[in-house]
Amino acid sequence: MLVTCGIVLALAFLTYVLYSDALLRYAVERGSPALREVLRESGMLSIAESADSRIQTRWMVGLALLISFVGILNAMVMSVTERFREIGTMKCLGALDSLIIKLYLIESMFQGLGGTLIGILFGLALGLFEGLGIYGSETFGLVPLLVLIKIVTTCLLAGVLLSVGGALYPAWVAARMQPVDAMRQEV
Amino acid sequence: MSDVLEEESSAKQEEEERLQRELLFATHIVRAIDVSKTYYLGAEPVHALRGINFSVRRGEYVAIMGPSGSGKTTLFNMIGGLDKPETGRVFIDEVDIAALDSIELAWLRCHKIGYIFQTFNLLRVATALDNVMMPMLFAGMQHSDAQDKAVALLERVGLGKRILHKPVEMSGGQQQRVAIARALANSPSILLADEPTGNLDATTGLQIIELMKELNESEGVTVICATHDHKMLDLSDRIAWIRDGRVERFKKRSEITITEGRADARE
Ligand SMILES: Nc1ncnc2c1ncn2[C@@H]1O[C@H](COP(=O)(O)OP(=O)(O)OP(=O)(O)O)[C@@H](O)[C@H]1O
Ligand SMILES: [Mg+2]
Repeated sequence: MLVTCGIVLALAFLTYVLYSDALLRYAVERGSPALREVLRESGMLSIAESADSRIQTRWMVGLALLISFVGILNAMVMSVTERFREIGTMKCLGALDSLIIKLYLIESMFQGLGGTLIGILFGLALGLFEGLGIYGSETFGLVPLLVLIKIVTTCLLAGVLLSVGGALYPAWVAARMQPVDAMRQEV
Repeated sequence: MSDVLEEESSAKQEEEERLQRELLFATHIVRAIDVSKTYYLGAEPVHALRGINFSVRRGEYVAIMGPSGSGKTTLFNMIGGLDKPETGRVFIDEVDIAALDSIELAWLRCHKIGYIFQTFNLLRVATALDNVMMPMLFAGMQHSDAQDKAVALLERVGLGKRILHKPVEMSGGQQQRVAIARALANSPSILLADEPTGNLDATTGLQIIELMKELNESEGVTVICATHDHKMLDLSDRIAWIRDGRVERFKKRSEITITEGRADARE
């Protein structure tokens, strides 16, 4: 449960950053004159057009990715360590190391997928909510569908890859332990 | 003509080799030689096994006795291929298990040995049925076949009405019986039982003891069993006493007298 929460939070943040950045970009590019006027008055237009802001967004995206990575990795390590006993038992009963790794990778993939999807929805909702406050009713048509799909796909891939990658190492460690050592682990 | 002769002689040779192998196998199915194991609690060494020598013949029913902490469970882990000895060697069917790679070890654990752990070690999230099916699925059995066999095994240990219960929904004795059914899943040739009747009442315990004896007699399963139960001792072929990580005595059943709660070597 905690694991899924971690993934949800990380992905919500990543999606939110990407989405709100896209909203601002397209509001500047193709917003109605009235909207551009509002943006100019609030100073957001000059911010959006400055070179500084591009760099800043990159930083934000990078940071979001890093947070996702650390969050998911940590969550995955925890979830596999919690189950060392189970892994040890399975080894005692004759499970191949490769089967154990496969089992946990598949499981973490589903866990990652679930958490990622929820996170993406949260992130989009958050961005949309914020956008409605700034851009009003124009928010909905602002970002082209294709760009939206691209954002969602990026986040989906990031979420699943990070979950599986995060589970790979602890699963590998657990699968290679002596079964009794794995069974004895108290977490 | 000469081809036929050659074939015949090579067939003869093969037959001879097979007989020799069988003779070898007939002697010892489990052999532990000078096995030691030390645990470390911080820097403090705990010598769980101090050069233990222990061998069991195919089809034997061996009981292991010894006070708590004498090293019974540690010995079981060694002869079951669940842990590596620090020094010494363990042979199963005359194969040094230190020479096996991880895939061969998994095969051995899956097909050859049935474990009944002192602490059951059932998967908490799985039902009794799933727990018993697991080793069969590891062995590559079809799901429906595994299910049929698991149900039959659970019925055999008297849990036919509990197959969809999870371990937390069962009593200690019931969990123990699930563990026993699981140990029998792949029809092992060696049954390693660590106090299998420790949590059972007299009647259920007797049923389990009789089940193990029946497997031993009718199917030739080698049984190695840690126990304090005098009924179990009475049925066994040999009894080993373990103390401080060593085999203190290893006697035939006929050489000892067993009285309620005690087993003494005849002087
Ligand atoms: N993981 C461990 N770490 C440290 N010491 C251990 C560990 N496992 C066992 N020991 C020690 O090794 C010794 C032998 O333990 P073992 O579990 O083999 O005893 P046992 O004969 O099975 O006892 P019991 O009848 O209580 O089950 C004990 O002194 C125990 O304290
Ligand atoms: Mg023990």
